[in-house]
Amino acid sequence: MATPERNDPVDVLIIGAGASGAAIAWSLTETRMRILCLEQGDWVTPQSYPTNHKNYEAMYAGPFHMDPNVRGLATDYPINVQDSPIDVLNFNGVGGSTILWAAHFPRLHPSDFRVRTLDGVAADWPITYDDLEPYFAQNDEMMGVSGLAGDPMSPPHTPPLPPLPIGRVGEVVAGGFDKLGWHWWPSDAAILSQARDGRDKCKNLGPCVSGCAQGAKASADNTYWPEAIASGVELRTRCRVREITLGPDGMADGVIYYDAEGVEQVQKAEVVIMACNGIGTPRILLNSTSAAFPDGLANRSGLVGKNLMFHPVGMVQGVFEERLGTHKGPNGCCILSKEFYETGPERDFVRGYNMQVVRGLSGPLTVATQGHRTGRIPWGQGHHDAFAKRFDRSANVLIVCEDLPEPCNQVTLDPDLVDSDGIPASKVTYRLGDNTQKMMTHGLDRGEELMAAAGAVEVVRTELQRVSGWHLLGTARMGDDPETSVVNAWGRSHDVKNLFIVDGSVFVTAGGVNPTSTIQANALRIGDAIKQNLANLFD
Amino acid sequence: MTDTTTRTLTEAEQQILRAVLDTVVPASADGRMPSAAELDFSAYLAEQAAAFAASLPEFLAALPSDFASLGVAARSAALEEVAAADPASFDQLIFRVYDCYYQNDAVRLLIGGEPGPPFPRGNTIPQGDLSSLDAVIARSPGYRRV
Repeated sequence: MATPERNDPVDVLIIGAGASGAAIAWSLTETRMRILCLEQGDWVTPQSYPTNHKNYEAMYAGPFHMDPNVRGLATDYPINVQDSPIDVLNFNGVGGSTILWAAHFPRLHPSDFRVRTLDGVAADWPITYDDLEPYFAQNDEMMGVSGLAGDPMSPPHTPPLPPLPIGRVGEVVAGGFDKLGWHWWPSDAAILSQARDGRDKCKNLGPCVSGCAQGAKASADNTYWPEAIASGVELRTRCRVREITLGPDGMADGVIYYDAEGVEQVQKAEVVIMACNGIGTPRILLNSTSAAFPDGLANRSGLVGKNLMFHPVGMVQGVFEERLGTHKGPNGCCILSKEFYETGPERDFVRGYNMQVVRGLSGPLTVATQGHRTGRIPWGQGHHDAFAKRFDRSANVLIVCEDLPEPCNQVTLDPDLVDSDGIPASKVTYRLGDNTQKMMTHGLDRGEELMAAAGAVEVVRTELQRVSGWHLLGTARMGDDPETSVVNAWGRSHDVKNLFIVDGSVFVTAGGVNPTSTIQANALRIGDAIKQNLANLFD
Repeated sequence: MTDTTTRTLTEAEQQILRAVLDTVVPASADGRMPSAAELDFSAYLAEQAAAFAASLPEFLAALPSDFASLGVAARSAALEEVAAADPASFDQLIFRVYDCYYQNDAVRLLIGGEPGPPFPRGNTIPQGDLSSLDAVIARSPGYRRV
């Protein structure tokens, strides 16, 4: 069989090589269809990550910053966040945002799929936790998840690898949870606690969110992609999709994209799968206008870009007398508490949050500059004493709140801002909802109690953090009703029957935990649905 | 408009810069921690902070010409004035001074950190005590069933 020429039509075109694009590419390989993935970024080599360098802290505050507007790489696209108190964080490259993620890997709960039924807000998902359960387990194996089975506050599951060390910082904060009688448990992490599949175990470098030089942290480029490519999937980098094109039959027939030289290219396909997450996916759909879809492709519901959900984050820091080793260890994965995860009738809000104890991002430069910004570590006389009281002696707990979908929180096209190829950029309009604000206040109050109970000599509270828009959800949500959703239960557009969406934009609600485990499980589930319905895929 | 090309600082500018470094991070009272002026800030600028280096002459020009001969209190007051007038530039100065200082191997060891980049060295941390999880299980109501 001859190798297909570049731009020969393909059977399946996937847009985006991140967490969900990689998972579904791998899932579909057994069909032996011609599968092509277009990714606007490059491969990133572990040798380039900051922790290879002495100035690693300055590097993740600059060229490896999680915010594309700060990073400003040619492979990034700008995002207007002037009307949002939360900045969007992502990465564009093979692996997508898993390159710069913390790999905290909890699953959504069964209740998260039944929010309307249980709590009378938002909407239920058209699928259940049980529908996803086998794919959660499959995904845990593919990514290499470390954790401890038996958590009574999470649905039963057994991580393939033992938990990562919680370290002294975990012990101290756990002591606070124990004093208060609150739940805590070692975090599930997509980070290897033991060598596996050619990847070595975690070396506790610290700043996972700047890339893992060790390769112990799972990212789509070191898990799904090697297997997918070995099975025949073509991954083409530096290809930025401008729009999805529509054939005369009303089906998507391919895309127009710009290659690395900025030359316009046409790629035809029988099936188009979007995996660009909650900002990138609506951006492309809204840029894909036609006579049939003047308001954007697959947007007859008017919901493309609407109902954007983050996980708004607040933080409480405790300063302790003893050294805790805070600058070491996987930064997002230590312990977490789900004490306030589910709706509590005695509270003035519905739904809940998780309390995520973090570490590893507290190197000396970070501590000193944060101390400068807050005024707690002066420059000049007094610097050394103030620094010594804080460096390696702080513990941080994040209050990670469930956001509820609201149509006013949305992604639109900016009328002026464009990327380096001239493609209109996204504009985010977002405000913190009343329920979320009450939840945040409750969580920060509990965080202060926690740190006091753990023995902190000083407790510092930070309200909503601006640099916290990791999780980008809800902007092309799934549902059974074409009037109130963009895609159906298996990710297929209600309006365009060969167009699928597999990323976080299909989330109906956000849950109160990191979403990537659920995003990937859902992508695998959609992959199976496509395989099982190949004969009548477009009916 | 700020000139973005780096030029060699004059001797007078270098004197002022050394005094700035010594004011921002002086040696500790017990002499254990070095002053930032004792480190090779010039090499740091050349290797890691070229854009900032290009802006330095303009920053230094905003300080009194006799800055290097002033006492600590007067130098601090002069820097406070610059910080109030141009906080962004001052914050950038602070960031660069701290970046140079806290990536120095000797300083890292003195603060109880580790020299060099985290990789491939790695860090060792204790597994941690999980013995209280039995009590966590006993007191937990369990996740919400649907």
